[in-house]
Amino acid sequence: MNWLRFSALVAAAAAFLGIIVWSSGVDPVAALRSGFTGALGTPYGVSDTLQRMTPLLLSGLGVAVGLRAGLFNIGVEGQLLVGALAAAAAAILLKGMPGWLHITLCLAAGGAAGVLWALPAGLIKVWRGGHEVITTIMMNYIALNFTKYIAANPFKDPSAQIATTVQIPNSTRLPDLGGSLHINAGLILAVLLAAGLAWWMKRTVVGYELKAVGANVDAAVAAGVNVPRTIVLAMALSGAFAGLAGAVQVCGYEYRFYDGISPGYGFDALAVALIALASPLPIIATAFIFGALAQGVQSAQVATDLPKEIAMVAQGIIILVAAAVGWQRFRRPS
Amino acid sequence: MVGITKRFGRLTACDQVDLSVEKGQTHAIVGENGAGKTTLMRVLYSVYQPDEGSIEVDGKQVRFRNPSEAIAAGIGMVSQHYSIIPQLSCLDNLMLGAEAMAGPLLDRSTATARADSLAQRMGFRFDWKAPASTLTPAACQKLEILKLLWRNSEILILDEPTAMLSPPDAAVLFNNLQLLAREGKTILLVTHRLREVIDYCDRVTVMRGGKRVAECDVADTDVDRLTNWIVGEDLRPKSDLDGRQAGKTVLTMKDLVIHGDRGERAINGLDLDLRAGEIAGIAGVDGNGQSELFEALVGIRAIQSGIARLGQDDLGQESTSRRLAAGLRFIPADRHRYGLIEDWSLLDNSVLGLHRLPPFAKRGLLRPQEVGKAALEEMEAFRIMADSVRTRAGDLSGGNQQRLIVARALHQPPAVLIAFQPCRGLDVRGTLAVYDSIRAECDRGMAALVISFDLDELLEYCEPIYVLRDGRLVAELRGLEIDRERIGRLMIGLEGAAA
Repeated sequence: MNWLRFSALVAAAAAFLGIIVWSSGVDPVAALRSGFTGALGTPYGVSDTLQRMTPLLLSGLGVAVGLRAGLFNIGVEGQLLVGALAAAAAAILLKGMPGWLHITLCLAAGGAAGVLWALPAGLIKVWRGGHEVITTIMMNYIALNFTKYIAANPFKDPSAQIATTVQIPNSTRLPDLGGSLHINAGLILAVLLAAGLAWWMKRTVVGYELKAVGANVDAAVAAGVNVPRTIVLAMALSGAFAGLAGAVQVCGYEYRFYDGISPGYGFDALAVALIALASPLPIIATAFIFGALAQGVQSAQVATDLPKEIAMVAQGIIILVAAAVGWQRFRRPS
Repeated sequence: MVGITKRFGRLTACDQVDLSVEKGQTHAIVGENGAGKTTLMRVLYSVYQPDEGSIEVDGKQVRFRNPSEAIAAGIGMVSQHYSIIPQLSCLDNLMLGAEAMAGPLLDRSTATARADSLAQRMGFRFDWKAPASTLTPAACQKLEILKLLWRNSEILILDEPTAMLSPPDAAVLFNNLQLLAREGKTILLVTHRLREVIDYCDRVTVMRGGKRVAECDVADTDVDRLTNWIVGEDLRPKSDLDGRQAGKTVLTMKDLVIHGDRGERAINGLDLDLRAGEIAGIAGVDGNGQSELFEALVGIRAIQSGIARLGQDDLGQESTSRRLAAGLRFIPADRHRYGLIEDWSLLDNSVLGLHRLPPFAKRGLLRPQEVGKAALEEMEAFRIMADSVRTRAGDLSGGNQQRLIVARALHQPPAVLIAFQPCRGLDVRGTLAVYDSIRAECDRGMAALVISFDLDELLEYCEPIYVLRDGRLVAELRGLEIDRERIGRLMIGLEGAAA
């Protein structure tokens, strides 16, 4: 019966999608074909898909850490933005050190900025009982406008027409590992961190307690878990992943910070993490799928004159269906 | 119900069970944990669909797809764990799903009137505007029963309704159930307390291993015969209260004051010395400070004044985690809320609370081999029935969940065990097993403090017995002083004014 419902849902969504695409004057089948080819059909396409996957994976891990502790960190987007700006600042302002140290400092600055941006939500929740969904959303607005101001004023590249910093030095760029897929070191780092997080949650006492708080906070208290400390830690860790996502975006792909650097990675990450049931290793897969989806929709748009708005609607519907299916099963074993 | 069979994977929970109940009767269903009682009731209430067999109500074959259809047909069930929503008021909980309406709006004044009359009929009293979070477990149970009446249920299924009730409360409940039966309601009662069956029921069905092994009129049987049917063998005679020598004091409480949720002095000057080797029992009617005392000892409620000392440690200064490390162990009354993480496996639950202690953790890392070993040992020692250690704790039967909690509390020999209703939901054999284990640990020097609303259990297994009333211990009874009648009088305040 569940499969029947599932198939009906997918069929209905596909039909709806087809009608929308068709009504904008584009052949849905051609759009689908070009989307598929664009995302997965060529080495160039796969390379782009992998690039889009990277920030989704890192920020998805951030969302997941929060979810496992019972926290809905909607602020991943804002944490990602300040992380990106901090990494760019570290790359541009720091000087006179070996490249490997400089890159490390840039990534650390990004992670630290993410932590800084996430901490208020954790502390407010623990001290005053304020809900993290509200506080992180507010922090998102502050991050968005604050980073925009910095990129448009004190830190602006004087020669540019838009709000952007100058490019970061070559020595602070995460290397492309070559090959036809141009896999970036940032992606490797993200995958390693996913594995590390999975191990950490499974094997460490603190990870065990974090999951206990998320699964049954009363039982966790009775088992001697320090819940306030665990909540603050989970929020900080969540922010660290988000900030690192921003830093990798700057050091691995964009080489500068500019207003609009994130098309909403932090929000897509919510779906990425939820569909993977907040498990780190499955998030690698969902991040890849979401990356392919975004890349495919853009390819279809370029190849078939599909209006950008319709392409966005299509992507939204697919995410909605995926989330509906994933949410239904969001009951986590340990 | 004819030929009901229900399987869960390899387990056949109900095997060709027949059950027929006459209108206006009170019909008891008894059996060990895992005998299939609750499963059978859930099939009737359509939480589960039977794999085989059929159900007839008033001579007509019926098939409900879900509990809402069963409710609409007049079948209501109160399960072992309550469905009360703490944030809603008592009134809103009562009418949830069958709200009194005036046009599109809730009609709370009509509802309150009807609620009052229902409560009066049952001899209960409720502050309908108070949030349900302020209710004691016993009051929740009462509210659940009123919910059935609110929905005009004709067939009432009660799964262990008295597990959380004190003897006077249970007596009130049964008197009112008899009243309902005389009005023509049919009552199905799942219980472990055979006394209740003999005293209040008309007919009884005994289940064992998923099969119906006996059904007869209560008038034709007695407790011993029922016990033999239930376990299928003669239990060894209950062990006597042995003349064990109590050791030195390990837990001291002096002039303890603990506030309740509304700031009242729920525990108001309590003194108690617990000695190694003792199984001390605290008797009392629910709501006299039991939960507050337990929570303060666990460390999730503050001690306002006075002293609770474990050996040399002042408990007021220690976190729950430090108390656990010092050898204090707890068995909470509410296993779903405090005892287990139901979405986790038996394996992961088996060290919850012990997880920071050696050998389960070393330098911040969990040690899977040790955890796995502990889970298997706990399963074996307490005969926890589960497919494997990977089984989700929430999928275990209530009795097996309780065994897991007890097994975990006793896994590493504790210094002091604080047990709040430790045998809630356990059958004769399970209760015996729990107390056998507690006694074995006490012989090795553990001290146990049992807080329970089940006076029979305390009388059977504990000495000394304290009586808790209005936040104070009004009596300490030992040896020949222990007398059922007298304790009953002390509990309800007919004797022994609080000093």
